[in-house]
Amino acid sequence: PIEDLFTSLNRHIQRSEFTQAVKVANQVLSVAPGDEDAIRCKVVALIKADKIEEALSAIQSSQKVSFDFSFYKAYCLYRQNKLDEALEVLEKQDKTQPSMLLESQILYRLGKMDACVDICRNLQKAKIDSLEINLVAGLISAGRASE
Amino acid sequence: NPIVLDLAYNAIDFPSIENRM
Ligand SMILES: [K+]
Repeated sequence: PIEDLFTSLNRHIQRSEFTQAVKVANQVLSVAPGDEDAIRCKVVALIKADKIEEALSAIQSSQKVSFDFSFYKAYCLYRQNKLDEALEVLEKQDKTQPSMLLESQILYRLGKMDACVDICRNLQKAKIDSLEINLVAGLISAGRASE
Repeated sequence: NPIVLDLAYNAIDFPSIENRM
């Protein structure tokens, strides 16, 4: 039954066995095509397994799912260094902490250091671990080390 | 240039599937 598959999926996720998790997510999808939890698990497991191209394909083939994969799609494009495309995807979605983090990383790679720093400063209230590292990197690269 | 951490990666989480088990 599908509950057993989800139990197995959960176990693989807990153990960071991401390739196995993808396999079990596919088993769920073979009996329940379009299962949103299974598709989400599959996409995240592919990203965590560093299979970025496959993650993008999975996102592409899940158009009917109501979950908004924009952030994941933008992240995959960022990993492929398709920075302008990634920004385009982000601009179409509401701003969230993750999307702002990603935007700041994309801007950094694009050499837009002031914009990168602005976003990190906006996120400072959110107390995200290690955010200062990226803020300082942006400041130094912007020639604003004194700040 | 200084290293920038991939903090966006840490924000990518599995959905809760407790209620599916
Ligand atoms: K990176």
